[in-house]
Amino acid sequence: MEELRVLVPYILRGLSVTLEVTGVALSIGLFFGAILAILRVYGGDLLSRILTVYTSVLRALPHILLLLVIYFLIARIVNLSPFWAGSLSLGIISSAYQAEIIRGAILAVPRGQMMAARSIGMPTIKAIWHVILPQAFRHAIPPWSNEAAIVIKDSSLVYVLGVPEILRQAQYYSAREYQPFLAYVTVAVIYFLLTFTTNRGLDALEKRIRIPGF
Amino acid sequence: MPQTKKEIVKVEDLHKRYGKEEVLKGISMEVDEGEVVILVGPSGTGKSTLLRCINQLTRPDSGKVWVNGIELTDPKTDIDKARQHIGMVFQDFNLFNHLTALDNVMLGLTQVLKMEKEAARNKAMEELDRVGLCNKFMNYPGQLSGGQKQRVAIARSLAMEPIVMLFDEPTSALDPELIGEVLVVMKDLAMAGMTMICVTHEIGFARDVSTRIVFMEHGDIVEQGSPSKMLNNPDLPRTKQFLGKISDLH
Amino acid sequence: MDLWTYLQIALPKIWGGLIITFQVSGVCLLVGLLIGFPSALARVYGPKWLRWLVTAYIEIIRGTPVLVQLFLIYYGLPQFGITLSAYMSAYIAIGMNSGAYQAEYFRGAIQAISGGQMMAARSIGMTPLQAIRHVIIPQAFRYAIPAWSNEVVAMIKISSIVYLIAVPEMLYIAKELMAKYYNPFQTYFTVGAVYLIIIGILTILLNRLEQALVIPGMDVAKRGG
Repeated sequence: MEELRVLVPYILRGLSVTLEVTGVALSIGLFFGAILAILRVYGGDLLSRILTVYTSVLRALPHILLLLVIYFLIARIVNLSPFWAGSLSLGIISSAYQAEIIRGAILAVPRGQMMAARSIGMPTIKAIWHVILPQAFRHAIPPWSNEAAIVIKDSSLVYVLGVPEILRQAQYYSAREYQPFLAYVTVAVIYFLLTFTTNRGLDALEKRIRIPGF
Repeated sequence: MPQTKKEIVKVEDLHKRYGKEEVLKGISMEVDEGEVVILVGPSGTGKSTLLRCINQLTRPDSGKVWVNGIELTDPKTDIDKARQHIGMVFQDFNLFNHLTALDNVMLGLTQVLKMEKEAARNKAMEELDRVGLCNKFMNYPGQLSGGQKQRVAIARSLAMEPIVMLFDEPTSALDPELIGEVLVVMKDLAMAGMTMICVTHEIGFARDVSTRIVFMEHGDIVEQGSPSKMLNNPDLPRTKQFLGKISDLH
Repeated sequence: MDLWTYLQIALPKIWGGLIITFQVSGVCLLVGLLIGFPSALARVYGPKWLRWLVTAYIEIIRGTPVLVQLFLIYYGLPQFGITLSAYMSAYIAIGMNSGAYQAEYFRGAIQAISGGQMMAARSIGMTPLQAIRHVIIPQAFRYAIPAWSNEVVAMIKISSIVYLIAVPEMLYIAKELMAKYYNPFQTYFTVGAVYLIIIGILTILLNRLEQALVIPGMDVAKRGG
């Protein structure tokens, strides 16, 4: 189909941006989420409560609102491109959800594990790194797989900042070629393939690193 | 004057396979009115499967089942209607958790037998009284002990006025001190003439109340006979071995 | 302009937007319920072809962004002569989206209950339909309440995307205010606060509802699912 051939370059341009936004957001989310989780679990009562309020607020507000808020807040201070503002925002949002996931995974590791590590003289940080996190990792994969799919889909929101990701490209195409249905269906298919392969891939990873009897 | 006993349950050449395992290897059996038949045997030998084949909650791969003269394995038979006359009590009670004890017993009466609400309530209270629980009619299953739950379950089945009661390990999930109250109800039922088929390990109950003990193993009936024969003087050494073991435990 | 003066001007307008937010959320939740619950029943008790169809619908909806679904209906359908208003597009797109997620919550609830309860109901002579109606459904509903509470909160958040197709809910009003008064910080702060307050109140109300419907001793799904 002629229309499809014209569409492809738009899609490819947009796809690379979508993947970049997702990659940055997930990474930022993982980094800060892990720190938040560890602080909440091991950081003492006051800190835990402050951080709980922080993550609760982030999870209660519409993602698109947070995107706009952070963009305007940051745009005043640092001169960030829409791409970086959007990716950073999504990363901050994701960190709140990932903090919950990682925290849950850490708590799923039996208490005795930390006790055993400390009892052979390991300091807390080392115990977390060598004993707790490897076990928590396995518990975290299914909900993280879910969160990854959510971030992939949320990347469509940076559309509102004008970032030329795949949805925006579809709109450009529609404005010129008057085939909106084709454009948006193609975008939907791409997103579906992205979430599908991500979920299946992480499922396979989970199976491969499964510990017998665990 | 000797009466010809009415045949309540007849099972002919039942076969059932789960995956690679054949749990029923051609079981045939008849149960007459008023009989109390106890099925014993090691776990997983098809006793529960056999029971569920009788009321067709499990469909056998081949073979026939008659209850009260009606062939249940005939696809033309209205199985829901037939089940109104067969009572079943489960190991896990399976009480309707969202309903009070009274509503649990009433549900079948109002929805299946289409009784008027007043009449249903009276009948339900009667049955709860029969199992000794009319003061618990307002409680939800979550508020009852295991023994109480099972007695409500029995009342629920009895309210439908079945001609045969099937018990699938009714006391296996209960704490030891709660087993007695359920066995008392079952004993009264037997004394009143109910036809019963029970899968159970309660040998004391079997000795006191049953008319026949059937020993099953690996999907076959190994031996069956009167309680005194099976418990004291069975033909086969395997029977003696198994019944001896559970006799000791109980 | 100081905050207090601004609030006096802005809040009535934001209130108008809030009403629309509730309207859109409410209708979409309802549409989602009407699609989701039967879908869950179909997936657990339906014939193979129906199960396959429903599963496909759920997987596709959950695998694509709701914004794309919205644009597809609002901008894409007119190409075939089907032009829907912004509201209708929102109700259909977001409603169908919610339906897919609700179907999964309800499916989990139904499957958690089904086994023993179905056997017990059949054993007293109930037909499958009677069993589903009197035994499975009443319990499935209660079991799914915590998950459904999450869905209500999620819907309030998601409904904000309709500002992009000019439905005058809160975020749209916010953008109008910013265009007029050039104060993004104050406006977003106010709107953000309103969202937080609303969601806080909703969460409390939904908790109360859960408590009111609880049956002593009966399990419900744990929150966070």
